[in-house]
Amino acid sequence: MTTYSVFELWIMAFVTLAIFSFLYKDNPVYRLVESIFAGLSAGYYVGLVWDTVILQQVVTPIETDGEWWLLLPAVLGFLLFSRLTRKYSWMSRVPLAFVIGATSGIYLTSQLQGLVLPQIRTTFLAQPVPGGSTDPGMMIALSSIVVIGVISTLIYFYFSHEHKGALGVTAKVGIWFIMISFGAHFGYTVMARVSLLIGRVQFLVEDWIGAMTGG
Amino acid sequence: MGFWDKIAAIDRRWIYLLCAIAVVIPFIVPVSLPVYTTPETQQVYDTIEALPDSSVVMLTYDYYPSTLAETEPMSRAALHHLFSKDIKVVTISNIPLGGPTIAERVTRDMAARYDKEYGVDYVNLGYKANYVAVMKGMGTAITNIFPTDNSGTRLSELPLMQDVKNYEDIDFIFIVADNATADYWVAIVNSQYGVPMCCGATAVMAPKMYAMVGSGQLQGLLGGMKGAAEYEQLVGHPDRALRGMDAQSLIHLLIIALVILGNVGYFLGGRQRREMGQL
Repeated sequence: MTTYSVFELWIMAFVTLAIFSFLYKDNPVYRLVESIFAGLSAGYYVGLVWDTVILQQVVTPIETDGEWWLLLPAVLGFLLFSRLTRKYSWMSRVPLAFVIGATSGIYLTSQLQGLVLPQIRTTFLAQPVPGGSTDPGMMIALSSIVVIGVISTLIYFYFSHEHKGALGVTAKVGIWFIMISFGAHFGYTVMARVSLLIGRVQFLVEDWIGAMTGG
Repeated sequence: MGFWDKIAAIDRRWIYLLCAIAVVIPFIVPVSLPVYTTPETQQVYDTIEALPDSSVVMLTYDYYPSTLAETEPMSRAALHHLFSKDIKVVTISNIPLGGPTIAERVTRDMAARYDKEYGVDYVNLGYKANYVAVMKGMGTAITNIFPTDNSGTRLSELPLMQDVKNYEDIDFIFIVADNATADYWVAIVNSQYGVPMCCGATAVMAPKMYAMVGSGQLQGLLGGMKGAAEYEQLVGHPDRALRGMDAQSLIHLLIIALVILGNVGYFLGGRQRREMGQL
């Protein structure tokens, strides 16, 4: 292991422990590391966008291939900064119109075609039974649960009528489905957060202490 | 103050300490608890297995360094699987902070183990801002979005990219993501260009992604560290995710115990207070 690698390991270990120190209580070392992280991230992001967008997609194609038309989107992008001045802020509306128009078009079609319609279609198809069973009774039962869950949850979010009578009962069934969904999401969230802790502890035990002890 | 009130008022730092102990112990004394393969992970494995040799797979590194514990093992296991089958790999990152660096480090490391040559067997496209525009743009021509690779080499100079012009030349996409980019790979690239794909997602995202497996939009799912561990086991390269599963199991038991203790305390503590006339 090179001196640089050892130095890198110690920096990583120090930063990890400094962030963990907040769990005991707020302290200057934690705040220092947090500020360094925020500053580094902002600087890195600006540098990365400058290199990958401005240089690679505007400057280089103009210089090497003479694609002068790229100046048009570049100028439009630059006009967004006119919002920083009161007098010329109206100029930013031109690029914003492009952004809003294009984004709406892309998002509307992709969300409808790619997410909403396939999910509606799947809701009304026979659900696969865990274990690969093709028992029709089981498939009908599972599919019914999905359909009831979707409809009752949608009705819970229907607020144009008071939730009374059949509407109220269905909305209550919807709440149960929502709660079960929250439980599943929470369980997975716990697993995700624990995984992050495991990752850092794994680094400290296996990589950092392991390197020090030659393990 | 009754027993349950004392428990309810316990300093939360004791719970942090318990969690830390529960995570550290399995690394010092490994138990190697068995990890069972879920159907969604098996589907990922089977789908990659069914790809012919010399197929072209796009592997995404759409994750931040903060979720490395869950996502990097997925990328490594995927590369084990792809390179061992002699599949060509094109990597891309839609995440600015860390993504391109992680892609470079992990892919080069894995390629070296399989004697893969850069430009011939794999290419790293790197990062471009605005992932929706990137995904749409690559449908027309990858070179429109990535005139050069991550190192600044023009794509026209890389042999692999001579045959890979747009999504029509990509046989499969292996998404590894910790954020909404996974949704857009499905919503834009799968639904509009018909490229088959699977997803390695963080556990937080997994419940949502299951719906896309059910609808057939995803050919399998790796959910969190558990999914990564299962996939490591399937490809025959047990690594960090599998080693982390002992800690995962132990701390889950601890959390379940704490949830039960907290709820019992809440109800019994309330009864104690009622009996003492405080409620």
